[in-house]
Amino acid sequence: MATRLPAAVIDNGTGYTKLGYAGNPEPQYIFPSCIAVKESAGVRSNIARGIDDLDFYIGDDCFEQPAYAAKYPIRHGVVEDWNLMERFWEQCIFKYLRAEPEDHYFLLTEPPLNTPENREYTAEIMFESFNVPGLYIAVQAVLALAASWTSREVSQRTLTGTVIDSGDGVTHVIPVADGYVIGSCIKHIPIAGRDITHFIQQILREREVGIPPEQSLETAKQIKERYSYICPDIAKEFAKYEKEPAKWIKKYEGINNISKRPFNVDVGYERFLGPEIYFHPEFCNEDFQTPISEVVDTVIQNCPIDVRRPLYKNIVLSGGSTMFKDFGKRLQRDVKRTVDSRLRISEQLSGGKLKPTSIDVQVVSHSMQRYAVWFGGSLLAATPEFYSVCHTKADYMENGPSICRHNPVFGVMS
Amino acid sequence: MILLEIENKIVETTLKSRLNSQKPDAVDQTVADYDGVVFHISNPGRDKSKIMVSISIRSYAQLQQHGVDEHLATIYGNYLTTPEEGYDVSLLFDLENLSSDKDILIRNASLLKRNCVACVFEKYFDLQKQYEDQGVQSKDFAIINYREDETLYIQAQKDRVVVIFSTLFKDENDIIIGKVFMQEFKEGRRGRQEAPQVLFSHRDPPLELRGTSARIGDNVAYISFVLFPRHTNPKNRQNTINVIHTFRNYLHYHIKCSKAYLHSRMRARTEDFLKVLNRAKPEKVSEKKTISGKTFVRR
Amino acid sequence: MCLQNFSSQVIERHNKPEVEVGSSKELLLTPIIISRNEKERVLIESSINSIRVSIAVKQADEIEKILCHKFMRFMMLRAENFIILRRTPMQDYDISFLITNFHTEMMLKHKLVDFVIHFMEDIDKEISEMKLAVNARARICAEEFLKTF
Repeated sequence: MATRLPAAVIDNGTGYTKLGYAGNPEPQYIFPSCIAVKESAGVRSNIARGIDDLDFYIGDDCFEQPAYAAKYPIRHGVVEDWNLMERFWEQCIFKYLRAEPEDHYFLLTEPPLNTPENREYTAEIMFESFNVPGLYIAVQAVLALAASWTSREVSQRTLTGTVIDSGDGVTHVIPVADGYVIGSCIKHIPIAGRDITHFIQQILREREVGIPPEQSLETAKQIKERYSYICPDIAKEFAKYEKEPAKWIKKYEGINNISKRPFNVDVGYERFLGPEIYFHPEFCNEDFQTPISEVVDTVIQNCPIDVRRPLYKNIVLSGGSTMFKDFGKRLQRDVKRTVDSRLRISEQLSGGKLKPTSIDVQVVSHSMQRYAVWFGGSLLAATPEFYSVCHTKADYMENGPSICRHNPVFGVMS
Repeated sequence: MILLEIENKIVETTLKSRLNSQKPDAVDQTVADYDGVVFHISNPGRDKSKIMVSISIRSYAQLQQHGVDEHLATIYGNYLTTPEEGYDVSLLFDLENLSSDKDILIRNASLLKRNCVACVFEKYFDLQKQYEDQGVQSKDFAIINYREDETLYIQAQKDRVVVIFSTLFKDENDIIIGKVFMQEFKEGRRGRQEAPQVLFSHRDPPLELRGTSARIGDNVAYISFVLFPRHTNPKNRQNTINVIHTFRNYLHYHIKCSKAYLHSRMRARTEDFLKVLNRAKPEKVSEKKTISGKTFVRR
Repeated sequence: MCLQNFSSQVIERHNKPEVEVGSSKELLLTPIIISRNEKERVLIESSINSIRVSIAVKQADEIEKILCHKFMRFMMLRAENFIILRRTPMQDYDISFLITNFHTEMMLKHKLVDFVIHFMEDIDKEISEMKLAVNARARICAEEFLKTF
């Protein structure tokens, strides 16, 4: 095989890191972006003697090491501790991917609104420490858009759209036009996977007694992942449950970690109430009351007028917390409603003289949602075009890290 | 992590999840390993009950001259099948028809690369024994181009086996750090009788390789390991192979880690300097308050 | 470091560090070189409104050379934070500082001097420490590897 070795794609999120080789449909590893280091007593612990700095674990192994302190080098999507991050990458590459970094091109991701300095630091580490031959730093939202291409035809592929990225900690709504993020219009929603889990946990605590307290979070999480879905109308859904409880109420079976005795939990209304907080945030958060569909609408309305239509037409979901059944359908319906009512008002105001063309609202769901960013990266890094837009080691040596401030958009196949 | 692992983790975890699950999932992954090795794990003919693990190694044709096929046959037996197109070796696992000891199976599969390379070592270790018994020796080398520009030479002599790695540094700074490392390898033997003798030469190939087509250049280095019968005897042999075949990657891994370490030092020191510089900035006069809200007048 | 605000006399409404532009000879002073030996030396060039201090750091062997080079590049990449650091060093020197009258007005002069001196003292120490650290690492790595035989 004389062809080039596959590029490595690493998506470092706040909670989880997804890594693997380009061209694969799913990442080879998904583990917490967490690094366990030995705590030393000295103030300047970062200057270790000898090779103590090789003594650390990353990912799932972190939690099995009692003598080590687990740390997260990434906060809110942005790298905070470069020392830890460098070492985190060290093991990602050498232990998990088992790649000689000199042989592989690398695609890394960054959150929207990352600073150019951070990009330079990343480049410095990648090129100087690891001698990678080529590096591309992609914006997560753009990759999520690229990932949605699988569910549509070639001619429909576009890098314009609204990305709803909902992970464990926070949800972003990010408008992207032709591969460039419209930074001023990004909105955050303080509701994400963790809040749903807490909400379900709270309901369970009020009703179910059989759950051991130390396992209640875990149980809530399991219930969220297995049984939750989004309903079109809560009132009707309640009625449905009243009528035929046997059909709708599920049983969750758990095992007590300590006594090893099984316990049962009836899973009822929380099946649809949990994820419902996206649309009715007042259920669990008093400070934030705007439903997600309205946020999406405002974001698009803030954008330049000429991209609004394509933005409505391509609303893409990404991240694990958008995986609920019918999330896309419900969002599409709600956004559509808002948009239609606005059009109706403008028609009325004009006295029937203006007949606006209706706006096409489309929410795209696809099977890769959970690691959409990674998948988009894998897709793009497997194209021959990728190698031509990468910053190469030679460029870096010639021009310095500043070349990585800009990463050209590519992949819009015409 | 100081030593590198010898098995391929991706192959191991993938197989583990697939072989142990009740309902087999579809799988199609192409992953790489050190030295340009590519693995392909897939379901041949979309049949979910079968898993094929294929490997492609750059130097497979050279390995074949040293009997890699026979060597693998002894380890994998009838799991071997005709290699998939574009790959060199393929293993086929039929999930409905597995031997009971899955763990060993998985372990062996993840060691596929190691086992491929091991055959050359085994052959020359045997040769050395033979030469020792017969008192003759030949001068021929096994030459394995394990990477594009880097080569592994193995020569058996009457009382020793010489393993020479040639390695190429892509970065000029790496050469210098690499030299420090190799110097230490050379001296590291002091106080450790059981370790093999290590020699290194920078730029020119060592004496044994004079007259061959070995590369000469500023960015090339040669490291020779002299293995004695105590390393190559059947008892220690497997361990020796495990260790030595990762040498090149071990060296490069540590060079990179050192650079990462230097970075962290530089970060700390830069911060230090900044602190000193910031002392030059005049303090902002801000009113300091006590807990009770009184202010002191600074004189 | 007796610097004063001085507007450019060549171009109206410009105010540039004269030591950098060097357009008017009468504003420059004779540069001074202080050297311990061939390799370690400091060049001080001063002018009416700015002063440039360039330092050549001791580099005894290859490894010190690359360490020094790496370190200086690392620092210059972060020059924004080091207000007085020049982004490129003068030729034949490893690192340069440029102090203008604005800096001396904004910051305490004697502390700036302190900083430059502290920097010169520490840089040698740090580089030799880094060299030792690399050596130590190499030794441990080699031992660990050979131990496994």
